[in-house]
Amino acid sequence: SDSSSDSGSEDSSLSDSELQEAFSKGALKPGLNVVLEEGPKRRNDVNGLKQCLSEFKQQLAWVERLDVTLGQVVDPISQSASNKDAVDPENDFQREMSFYRQAQAAVLEALPRLRKLQVPTRRPDDYFAEMAKSDQQMQKIRQKLKSKQEAMERSERAKQLRAMRKYGKKVQNEILQRRQKEKKNMLNAVKKYQKGLSDKLDFLDEEQTSSQGNKKGSANQQIKKGPNAKRRYKNQKFGFGGKKKGSKWNTKESFNDVSSFRSKVAHNKGPRKGGKKALNKRPGKRARQKMKSRAR
Amino acid sequence: AAKRKRDALAARPKKRAKKAPSAPDVEAKPSPDGAAPEEYSIPPPVSQGKWKNKERVLIFSSRGINFRTRHLMQDLRTLMPHSKADTKMDRKDQLAVINEVCEMKNCNKCIFFEAKKKQDLYMWFSNIPQGPSAKFLVQNVHTLAELKMTGNCLRGSRPLLSFDPIFDKEPHYALLKELFIQIFSTPQYHPKSQPFVDHVFTFTVTDERIWFRNYQIIEEDASLVEIGPRFVLNLIKIFQGSFGGPTLYENPHYQTPN
Repeated sequence: SDSSSDSGSEDSSLSDSELQEAFSKGALKPGLNVVLEEGPKRRNDVNGLKQCLSEFKQQLAWVERLDVTLGQVVDPISQSASNKDAVDPENDFQREMSFYRQAQAAVLEALPRLRKLQVPTRRPDDYFAEMAKSDQQMQKIRQKLKSKQEAMERSERAKQLRAMRKYGKKVQNEILQRRQKEKKNMLNAVKKYQKGLSDKLDFLDEEQTSSQGNKKGSANQQIKKGPNAKRRYKNQKFGFGGKKKGSKWNTKESFNDVSSFRSKVAHNKGPRKGGKKALNKRPGKRARQKMKSRAR
Repeated sequence: AAKRKRDALAARPKKRAKKAPSAPDVEAKPSPDGAAPEEYSIPPPVSQGKWKNKERVLIFSSRGINFRTRHLMQDLRTLMPHSKADTKMDRKDQLAVINEVCEMKNCNKCIFFEAKKKQDLYMWFSNIPQGPSAKFLVQNVHTLAELKMTGNCLRGSRPLLSFDPIFDKEPHYALLKELFIQIFSTPQYHPKSQPFVDHVFTFTVTDERIWFRNYQIIEEDASLVEIGPRFVLNLIKIFQGSFGGPTLYENPHYQTPN
């Protein structure tokens, strides 16, 4: 086996036969086996530590030391106490929250004790003394917070304005169209009356009731309205009375424009739209001539 | 500001030796602004000969520290009124010299910042003269001056110390806890301390490191705001003596930064 044949000076502590036995048992895998040295031994003198601690410890009253050793405040929101062990140190927010909760637990435990010992914890409002951070520093902090808040508010306002403008524009368009339609209907009704087609003067009242009905239906209908495809095509071709002059010119763009080419229609491959009249398959000119000549 | 502080400190021990401090002297120090409103509602001057727990911590550094470390050092001196400052130590001297420096300043604890190669910051916590001492690698330093830390506290008020339950579970953590308590807790009735307890230091063990945070207590219902500074300590070794002596504990999870 490879491992036993490769054994150099390193495996001199194990004889070849032992290695072979180990290999046959499956303890060794083929390939180069290197003796792993255990990591450098780290000292952990537990007894020394304990002795040192006992010598070093001071017997002071708690009020001198003010130390609290507690786990975190058990949050009703967090799942369970064992959640703490799963605090991912990389997750900054979770980690800082765990520190915060630990501090909270300590405070909740310590403050009542301090109050019992008559050590004041609340600073009275008129007690002015030097603080750890200067007033200037606190001003800077306040400025920074304010500017951040203002920036956020500004961006919020801008977003809202944008949204409002879009909506406003849409609403305005709808209103204009509705007004035009009403005007048209009104004119038609007046014309009908004038021409004598209808001798009711109902259109005056009609306007009020139909406009009410329209308001409810307009939201649904307005989305899909507009001229038909056929109407749109004819408008494009014949509308506005002034486009006919150059309408038969083949420009480069119109020649290259293949947008109206429907491949399925051209190759007669698409689904039959409502059964085109039994599909008139009249053969082409050449085929017909052939048929004629053959028939003769 | 540092110079002023040192002169004040130099003046102070002399007065301490002369027995109990006189009333106006003590009143002047804890409340430099607005003398008038306090006389009605403050508690009586803190130290009335009651200061028994004579802990003094010497906080200083070696040469070659960068601005962040220097600010951190100043922040610690601000937060701990029982601290003393000293000039930078020369790199050439051995660490044992620190013991003598502390004795000269009459300090029995020491926090020493050691900067190597302008990159790594090591922090020593030690009990002078007989030990123990611990060496840490410091990471993720944020100082008091950072604008994200919005809390504030009285200068010299006594802190609450909050420890993770893990500190009670292992012997080396228990020793470290005792060391931290003795170093960081401000003695009661210290003449430079304020009588209120309005901030809390937290020491948490996460990811094999000790995380330090400082929070201001706003309300009695334990709503907190961070004051700073904050740093992370990575334990290297614990020695039985002060800055030397047999190694009691080596951290197996520690890898040198190089």
